[in-house]
Amino acid sequence: MAEMWINMGPQHPMTHGLWNLRIKVDGETITDAEPEVGYLHRGIEKLCEDRTYTQIIPITDRLCYGSSLTWSHLYCLTVEDLMGIEVPKRAEYIRVAAIEMQRIASHLMWLAAYGADLGLMAGFIYCMRDREVFIDILQALTGSRITYNFPRIGGVAHDVPSNFDRDALRACTYMERRLKEYEEMFDRSKVFMMRNEDVGVLRRTDAMNLGVTGPPLRGSGVRYDLRKDMPYSVYPEFEFEPATHPDCDCYARYRVRMDEMWQSCRIIRQAVQKMPKGKWRILAPRNAPEGTGVGRVEDPRGEGVMYVVGDGTDKPYRLKIRSPIFVTVSAAPKMLIGYKVADVVAIMGSLDMCIGETDR
Amino acid sequence: MNLYEFCRGLIHWLVDLINNLWYWLGDVLPWWFGDFFDAVGDFAASRGHISVMAIGLEVLIIVIVALINVLNFIWIDRKLSGRIFDFYGPYYVGYRIGGWLQNLADGIKLFVKEIIVPAKADKFGFMLAPIIFVGSSFLALATIPLSPHFGVATNESGHGVSAGVIIAFAFFAIAPFSILIAGWSSNNKYTLIGGMRSAAQMMSYEIPMLLCVASVFLLAGSFSFFGVVDAQHDVWFAIPLFLGFVVFLVCLVAEIEVQPFDLPEAEAELVEGWTTEYCGMRFGLFMMTSYLRGYIGGALVTALFLGGWQGPWFIPDEIWFLIKAYAVFFVIEWARWSLPRVRVDQILDVGWKRLMPLAVLNLMIAVALKTLGWF
Amino acid sequence: MSRKDELTFTGFVIRPMSRTMRTFVRALLLGKPNTILYPYQKLDLPPRYRGKHVLDFKRCIGCSNCAQICPNDCMWMEKLEDPELGKIERPGIDLGRCLFCGLCVEICPTVALHESVEFELADRDRSGLRFGPKELRDDTYADKVAEERQMRSLPVLDMNKCTGCEKCAGECSEICIAMMPIEATGKQKPEISLPKCTSCGKCAVVCPEKAITMSNVYESYFDMPEPKFILKNCTGCAACARACPADVIYMMDMPGTEKMLKDGKKSKPKKRAVFVLEKCVGCGKCFRACKFDSIEMPGVRR
Repeated sequence: MAEMWINMGPQHPMTHGLWNLRIKVDGETITDAEPEVGYLHRGIEKLCEDRTYTQIIPITDRLCYGSSLTWSHLYCLTVEDLMGIEVPKRAEYIRVAAIEMQRIASHLMWLAAYGADLGLMAGFIYCMRDREVFIDILQALTGSRITYNFPRIGGVAHDVPSNFDRDALRACTYMERRLKEYEEMFDRSKVFMMRNEDVGVLRRTDAMNLGVTGPPLRGSGVRYDLRKDMPYSVYPEFEFEPATHPDCDCYARYRVRMDEMWQSCRIIRQAVQKMPKGKWRILAPRNAPEGTGVGRVEDPRGEGVMYVVGDGTDKPYRLKIRSPIFVTVSAAPKMLIGYKVADVVAIMGSLDMCIGETDR
Repeated sequence: MNLYEFCRGLIHWLVDLINNLWYWLGDVLPWWFGDFFDAVGDFAASRGHISVMAIGLEVLIIVIVALINVLNFIWIDRKLSGRIFDFYGPYYVGYRIGGWLQNLADGIKLFVKEIIVPAKADKFGFMLAPIIFVGSSFLALATIPLSPHFGVATNESGHGVSAGVIIAFAFFAIAPFSILIAGWSSNNKYTLIGGMRSAAQMMSYEIPMLLCVASVFLLAGSFSFFGVVDAQHDVWFAIPLFLGFVVFLVCLVAEIEVQPFDLPEAEAELVEGWTTEYCGMRFGLFMMTSYLRGYIGGALVTALFLGGWQGPWFIPDEIWFLIKAYAVFFVIEWARWSLPRVRVDQILDVGWKRLMPLAVLNLMIAVALKTLGWF
Repeated sequence: MSRKDELTFTGFVIRPMSRTMRTFVRALLLGKPNTILYPYQKLDLPPRYRGKHVLDFKRCIGCSNCAQICPNDCMWMEKLEDPELGKIERPGIDLGRCLFCGLCVEICPTVALHESVEFELADRDRSGLRFGPKELRDDTYADKVAEERQMRSLPVLDMNKCTGCEKCAGECSEICIAMMPIEATGKQKPEISLPKCTSCGKCAVVCPEKAITMSNVYESYFDMPEPKFILKNCTGCAACARACPADVIYMMDMPGTEKMLKDGKKSKPKKRAVFVLEKCVGCGKCFRACKFDSIEMPGVRR
């Protein structure tokens, strides 16, 4: 068969989000790849220029709807850096506990979609069912299931509800039991390993040169986690290990995310047990000083950065968002060339694409 | 009593009943009308015509039984997958019978959809593919008897068709052609890829399957269904030929195209694979035939390896056969929802490199058992 | 030897299938599946869930803070005529645009707007999603739910009664109260610094005119803009005092501005507006009402 370009997307039932992947195939082997993003561009950075600092928080939630707490937290960190506010300790602990729960929920959603892509419907349903446990806790905490609108500039919106400690610890125990069961369904399943081993290899030097961050980077053996290397918020007070894996293939990225879920359970336990008493919110000034603020967090998908320029009024002059997947998807050709068409799903699935944050 | 004899008796009685009316009309009405009705009565009562009507009734019964079994399979599939996934299956439609009527509702929904043929598709091939697919599957079904007395194309003057199993497999294996035609005539890159993959997969799994069947023939000493089942009266062939049983099951799963071997219709990559461009009831026919082939496969496994219709006296033979076929289907469905999809080159890998040597090994075991005189 | 070769044959089918079989047995024989048969079984939502809004007409002061903070411009203020409350202005919401973010609930100074757990809001056309104030009205909702926002007991000044006697400033142990002169009137008024107040209530007790009362005020975490008064342009028309929903502005006479009228009588003195900024909710209505540019309020839309 002659070489031909195939479009996977933008209208495709199983690509997570709205993007187009053009691959050049020769029979079943891929010889070139070209991802096209931008179908979901909503002009968020421009929207933010016309709204006050508090009004932007629901908008940043919708950047990546899979892990929306991370983005609103990042925004609040950035603006607190600009305004020079010190957030009370209790608020920081609540933020960390909620974010780690959000991280588990996000990874579970990734695992559900990944299992469904590979044909394992049971994986999809089990992961979504377990994600409900965490979403329910976050619903009792914030009032909403996906777009929480919870962090505020100067703290968090409400205090924790009365059953939060008990529910969070129960959820962690439940999750650790389930993670062992997932190993049976995924790790010990030979068919899963056949699909994932030696597929989509991203060499260590390539990953670092292309600016890939997050689980794809740690799955290539580079031990770089912003929570340990450039700690923000109260992460220095917690004990956990960043998860890495020396193989550079899809299995390594899968394993990194599962280990991250273990570590998140550890962090949630520590956060809930060590939570200090006190205020959970302080009054933040309405007008920001002239200047700039930068915030960086470890998103479940990589490193997210925000940069805000204030001009003395109550609306930002410019808000710039750096999304991790936007950079990682440019590494897609490196990972795809030489493999089969049937591997595309496994490889792109292992990158955990969330197009909301890519296209902003 | 045979199914054919039963149908013939029924038709004979029915024709006699109706002929009373015709003959009475023939007597009552004067000249030309009377002769006409007399002729109608004679026409219906002649032997050849009664045989034709009996065969028609027999075919109708078999098709209805098959379709009800297929509906049951779909219902079991959905309920089973529901409980495996920790939710209910179909629940509300047919509330008291566990949601069984959901399949009928879905069928009606498919009927009322608009049928669209793609503009540049090859119209003849597009229409021909479902016909061949469904037709060949029903033909394969016709040759499998549920018991010595229940079957339509199973009895040749009372002794059973002497090459019954081979005919069943021959019809079963026509399907790859129709899939290839369906995929190619849809004028769509994805369906073409799906059709090619499917043809490759089915072709490569026919051979280990037939090698296992050959080992069964060796032990049974005959090619017909009755011979194979009767040879299992001491012990089911699944026990000495356990390797063949497992290999046959795996090949069956690959032939039916369910997970883990359903790459030709993988949703994640190819939307619906080779059935993408079909709408409405044509798509419904493909779906239904997929389950029908599951039923045929289960019936073949039962007849060849699990002792067919043999069982204790308190349950009729046909019900035993169906119970065993359902059990095989249960195992296939259980594996379906637990395993991820195997990649296409790995499928061919498994087929040629792993299953064929095992099938040959199984054949050698059968030869050894036969020469030892145990069968 | 790669990882997949370490797995034995059981890895092919046995292990994953045993997992699903366990779930199957649990869902079928030992218990019920994990499904809520909606709509016959309802979901159990936490009280904080953000659903359809509920408005308490009696608590609402019509300040339009909610309409201003909405990130999507979903809310509008409607002028109504209520038999008990007279001419009032209450908000309506277009739930078709609403994000259900809850910012309007958080900023309301009197906690008049709540979000209930009702989420079944589907309708056949868009106009069914626009809820006017009367459709959102439920005056008893606040009694049914737990109080989420904190309250503080804070002193509230009624400028009509204040004589400027300085007793409250002297009595306050935290020195929260400072007497500030009111320009061009010759009087002074106490300015209370609310962040420092400890709610001891001594100022209310000691005031001879009972101008200071301790009342429960809801804590607000939003830094609202404050109006700045420019005396030069004020004509004493009292448009701002009529517009203010929170009783912040009082009109005070400026002695020395009486004019001699033609028939020999003295006219009434000119008035000026006096702001009691502790009560201000930052709605900006005074800013919009003043036609003479004597109020400056940065950050508020016109």
